[in-house]
Amino acid sequence: MTTLQLQNIVKRFKSHTVLDDLSLEVASGETLVLFGPSGAGKSVLLRLVAGVIEPDKGNVLIDGEDMSDVEPEHRGIGMAFQNFALFPHMDAFQNIATPLEASRSSADKIKEGVARVAKLLRIDHVLTHRPKALSNGQKQRTALARALVGSPPLLLLDDPLRNVDAKLRFEMRLELPRLLAAQGATVVYVTQDYKEAMALGDRIAVMAAGRIRQVGTPEEIYDAPAFVEIARLFGDPTINLLDVAPTAAAGGVAVELSGVRIPLPGVPAAEAVGRDCLIGLRPESLAFVAAGTAGAIPVTIEAETPLNEKTVSLVLTTDGREVLVSRPAGTPAPASGPAHIAFDGTNALLFDKETGRRIARMGEDAGERGEAA
Amino acid sequence: MSGAALQITGVDKFYGAIDRGVHAVKNLSIDIEKGEIIALLGSSGCGKTSTLRMIAGFEEVSRGRIAIDGREVHMLPPVKRNVAMAFEGYSLYPPLTVRENIAFALKASKLPQAKVDEKVGDIARLLEIEDILDRYPSSISGGQQQRASLGRALVRDAALHLLDEPMGQLEPRLRAVLRGRIKHYIKERGLTAILVTHDQTEANALADRIAVMEGGVLLQFDTPQTIKQRPANLFTGAFVGEPPMNVFAATVDFGGDGVVFGLDQGVQLRYAADEFSSAVLGELRGRGKVMLGIRPYAVRRAERGVAAKVAVNQWLGDQTQIATDFAGGTMVLVEHDRVRLAPGEEIGLKLDAGALHVFDAESGQALSHGPELA
Repeated sequence: MTTLQLQNIVKRFKSHTVLDDLSLEVASGETLVLFGPSGAGKSVLLRLVAGVIEPDKGNVLIDGEDMSDVEPEHRGIGMAFQNFALFPHMDAFQNIATPLEASRSSADKIKEGVARVAKLLRIDHVLTHRPKALSNGQKQRTALARALVGSPPLLLLDDPLRNVDAKLRFEMRLELPRLLAAQGATVVYVTQDYKEAMALGDRIAVMAAGRIRQVGTPEEIYDAPAFVEIARLFGDPTINLLDVAPTAAAGGVAVELSGVRIPLPGVPAAEAVGRDCLIGLRPESLAFVAAGTAGAIPVTIEAETPLNEKTVSLVLTTDGREVLVSRPAGTPAPASGPAHIAFDGTNALLFDKETGRRIARMGEDAGERGEAA
Repeated sequence: MSGAALQITGVDKFYGAIDRGVHAVKNLSIDIEKGEIIALLGSSGCGKTSTLRMIAGFEEVSRGRIAIDGREVHMLPPVKRNVAMAFEGYSLYPPLTVRENIAFALKASKLPQAKVDEKVGDIARLLEIEDILDRYPSSISGGQQQRASLGRALVRDAALHLLDEPMGQLEPRLRAVLRGRIKHYIKERGLTAILVTHDQTEANALADRIAVMEGGVLLQFDTPQTIKQRPANLFTGAFVGEPPMNVFAATVDFGGDGVVFGLDQGVQLRYAADEFSSAVLGELRGRGKVMLGIRPYAVRRAERGVAAKVAVNQWLGDQTQIATDFAGGTMVLVEHDRVRLAPGEEIGLKLDAGALHVFDAESGQALSHGPELA
């Protein structure tokens, strides 16, 4: 079992700062997902851990040991990338075997090791094929097999499912946790797909512009995003964000939507009243209700767009705001025309519009993991 | 809806010589009503794009007829067909700004300038391209070009609007609201639209009816709901729906007063005979093997159900996807709520007769959906 620590890492390419005083710890056996848009610095971070590039400042520690003077091949790392990076002149078996060849394992050991991971990844029938004769899915499994074959204690996976089709991505998303658990490795996994991040990560580190903006469990990130940009990155359909001007109310604040006053209990008035705010309402947290229900907001249903087993409605409030509302398919609701929607004010998210920071409720767990703005 | 906006009758497309070249579209017949939104859905090479290009007039029809508003058009050049298009490769005019490109589509309508400005402004607002209206196509991103091209097509009056992968390059937030806005726009104006996509979520979100194609053949043409509930074959059943349908090979036996499906590892699914119509029982009788399909949302947990072991539990914010080890394979179930089950936990699964899809083991043709014949 292996731990990974990154301490105050700075990396610049010419005058451009790619990683900006970044610190992160990955516990033994944990799968940590690095999530963020392209250009956030995720891949650079992986390459630093691998030892392919050096930080300008800061330290990489594996099992508490500083890696500054340790060559990449001695760091005990397995890697797989989105572009597969297979050797075209070798067949799948030889590709998978490369890490074992490098460590001078015996021919029997190599055969046994390759056979084990190939079976696990269901590519044992294509081991004699060269990459060009493999489907994208098989290439991707071959690359993963090569990363796993030496049972490295630390695995770095750089968006390995990026170039495979939706069905295979779904299957692999279900398979990977089993593989990784069987391997017992500590994993750093890079992705731009929020579903992959939530499905695979014990914790997710959300990166933007060379910094980590929030680290937390999938639940913390989804239910209590530290910043509005993070709230936007998770969820399908994406979160509704509406401009509001909170006013003081008993035990918290209240906001007004289409002339309907909705209390948000527990929101500290000092942080919200008099400031421009955004209320964040996830489509699944909104519901159609009967007229006259407390907090019912009058809307017009513009269109219904089914999304897998959900029905998503685009509605327009009477003051002209677009809102997406989703519900399990088959739940009765009007399909068009006038309707009313409502949400539970006790768990709606409220963000300071200027800083983007979420305004925490009073008495909320100190789960605020965002960095200082 | 009144009258057919488009009739495709017995259309074949060969690349190369007829009957000898590549047979891209095979004896396709489809009628589309005025005011419908239709999706041509399939993976690459299924014939959907060839079909769209034949409707537009960019490809010759090798055999068969195409009529728009009752008028045969398959011998006419594209400009004489009265269709508006947003195609990959049917690009914006580089020397014109985005505003001019969109306004150009309105030229034939001879509207007063103020009306043209208003229409361009409206569609630009809808597609969120107002701030790039005065830019040139070469200076905007692929996603913006896609929206500009979509705007140019939607702003026009035409008998048909043909949209090729209209939202492929959009970021998720924009895609979700644009789906709603575009559907509203098309419906409000009573336009007839045909979109081509490989993405079944896109097809389901927008289309009144979906034509599922594979290998040049139309496999099924029906409403999204019917395709989901009554897939014509295993291919369609597995292609439409996310996560994909669970599929298991099974033997069929009639023991005592019921039906028994035998899966791998001795797993048996038992049903009373009266859970199926007598026609279905007749269809199943005498069949040794079938393929059984059940959608992940239809799999229920039940204490006295068939044993399964949780392998993976993934919560995605608005739903929980659980993969279980079941009958030597993987059975996926999905619930709308957060479910707290740890890997290794034993659970029972209930597969209701009403949710079972039975397919022929060889041809993949659907035999029954729930209690009824396919």
